[in-house]
Amino acid sequence: MIEIKDVQKSFNGQSVLKKVSLQVEDGDVVAVLGPSGSGKTTFLRCINFLEHADAGELSIGPKTVDLNRASKREILAVRRKTAFVFQNYNLFNNKTVLENIMEGLVTARKVPVKAAREKAEESLVWVGLKEKRDAYPAQLSGGQQQRVGIARAVVLEPEVILFDEPTSAMDPELVGETLEVIRKVAHRGITMIIVTHEMSFAREIANKVVFMDGGVVVEEGTPEEIFGHPKEERTKKFLSRFINAESMYYI
Amino acid sequence: MNGVGEFFSWSRFVDDIPRLLPYLPVTLGIVAYAIILGVFLGMVIALLRIHGQWFFQPFLRLYISFMRGTPMLVQILIVFYGLPIVLQALGIEANRWDKIVFVYIAFALNEGAFLSEIFRSSILSVPTGQMEAALSVGLTRWQAYRRIVLPQAIRIALPSFGTDFIALFHGTSLAFLIGVVDIMGRAKTLGASTKHALEAYLFIALLFIVASALLRLLFHFLDRKLSYT
Amino acid sequence: MEFNAVYFWESLQSGLTYLPRTMELTGIPILCGFVFGILFAVVRVYKVSFFSPLIAVFVVIYQGLPTVVALLIFNLMFMANFNAVSSSLSLGITAAQIDNIWIGIVVLSLQAICNIEEAFRGAFYSVDNGQHAAALSVGLTEVQTLRRIILPQMLPVALPMVTNNIVGIIKNSSIVVAIGITEVLAGASIPASKTYSFLESYIAAALIYWVLTACVEYTFRRIELRGRKYRRQLA
Repeated sequence: MIEIKDVQKSFNGQSVLKKVSLQVEDGDVVAVLGPSGSGKTTFLRCINFLEHADAGELSIGPKTVDLNRASKREILAVRRKTAFVFQNYNLFNNKTVLENIMEGLVTARKVPVKAAREKAEESLVWVGLKEKRDAYPAQLSGGQQQRVGIARAVVLEPEVILFDEPTSAMDPELVGETLEVIRKVAHRGITMIIVTHEMSFAREIANKVVFMDGGVVVEEGTPEEIFGHPKEERTKKFLSRFINAESMYYI
Repeated sequence: MNGVGEFFSWSRFVDDIPRLLPYLPVTLGIVAYAIILGVFLGMVIALLRIHGQWFFQPFLRLYISFMRGTPMLVQILIVFYGLPIVLQALGIEANRWDKIVFVYIAFALNEGAFLSEIFRSSILSVPTGQMEAALSVGLTRWQAYRRIVLPQAIRIALPSFGTDFIALFHGTSLAFLIGVVDIMGRAKTLGASTKHALEAYLFIALLFIVASALLRLLFHFLDRKLSYT
Repeated sequence: MEFNAVYFWESLQSGLTYLPRTMELTGIPILCGFVFGILFAVVRVYKVSFFSPLIAVFVVIYQGLPTVVALLIFNLMFMANFNAVSSSLSLGITAAQIDNIWIGIVVLSLQAICNIEEAFRGAFYSVDNGQHAAALSVGLTEVQTLRRIILPQMLPVALPMVTNNIVGIIKNSSIVVAIGITEVLAGASIPASKTYSFLESYIAAALIYWVLTACVEYTFRRIELRGRKYRRQLA
């Protein structure tokens, strides 16, 4: 189980996260929704120490660390139990697709190169990019880059994968293939926290939905509860805007 | 036609070549020392400029500004006359050191400053997402630097490094002015003994022109070869 | 042996009296550099037959040549040939009557021309091709396009390179001591010939050059920033 408690963060005196907490059971797929500026990306980044939180606690399994006062070693330990999928992919530009996937295994987890290569190749087949193994990131489309990014995360077999708006930087026609891969990750039973704007996708794959606004969790529940019967006014307003916009695509 | 009074003679030009070439390694030695020490110094300064405590910064900036803002020749002279005094204060006797040692040090100090600026701007031009991604897969900060950020920074620095390298190579031609007998120093002594220096200087000119053109081609080739885009 | 402030002060004053010589040695080359450098850049950009490849070859050769080597060669050629040329043209002057600072000026001018030519050519190619086409498409003439569209976009790219080149020329002007021209560096070391205070002399010279190059960098930095502000207002 992963438990995040009372995360606080402010930038230049501007409070972005005001005591945000979240509980995630093993195998959960948690979708975090909310308007831009609601703090959802910052929240995700705090979990992986990409942002230094002002206060808060994080427990992965039996271990608890202070998000503000964690030692270097504790930070590294957390990072080695988690993986992150970035909005703008952030594949290592100087490494091939295969090397990108192997990097964490070989350098961070000390997996022997041969075994790491086998695992990496397996994961590439799995995301459908076997033929791109020796390409450099700049030679791939956005969708392909993100699939490599997902393989890079999955291959580490982390306790949780954090997805930060994984499809929002790509061309609309590439979103489908990427969501398909994320769906496969979910079906593998890997614990995931996804910050996303893809409402129908969130509704479909998540078993828990969190709606954030103004740096707080406004409402959380099952997809049925949030999308079907939202209780809070702010949630209703946000969803109605989005669902209208989304349905417009299908007209 | 090959009288002593003649301004330029091909036979002297050809005769000079075997007399000059044995001194080329001295010139190349200056380049080698300056680059090896300069890359090391430049990297340390660049990292200190990016990550170092604030109180380092004014000193580093002053150092870089001095090295970039004053002539190489003056720097060689200052090191040549000043370093023994500084070392003497530390109890080291440097007055009898070979002159070329001062040239190595002067060029290394100069290269360190120029390269630090090149390294700094190329490190800063690697997107922050690269570091974040490396940390997210569990690399330590140092591993992330060594395996992800620095290789990309070096790649970005390559064209500027090439220009700097050629400038350094040209700069070594000043070492003979404090009496180092490299290829230029040898040309000067040849000129003094034969009363004809022109042929030797022309051969050196040819050497520099060809080497500079080849180096430019080499860096251009490397730039394309190492491209991962 | 230690640092002597009095000798340093003497050297500084002596060096400063030769500052006009250094200004001459750098000012004329920079002026030539701008006039001919830009002209040659235009010749190469428009690929003028015969002249364009000629300039290209010259630039590669001259940029491959260290300043001190160029100075020594030009000096020897001048010494050996000037009198013959002068008398054949019956100019009535001999090499001894000519201040050898002109050798330094010629060598540094050629250097400035090559560097500024390369800077402006590089800047020209950095402007997107579409700009030229777009300007012509709205009915501007070739000259109008160059003046109103291409040049304003080139300058921000060329300016830092030009600054570097001017600083480079100032620094390289010190090398003329190799052929016995007296300017700031040699001037600053005049007192040292009596007192042997070479370190003080060279530090004094360094200081003068440092202030000079810092002024150039500051001035051009201001121009650059002004250009940037102007661009932001437009955006």
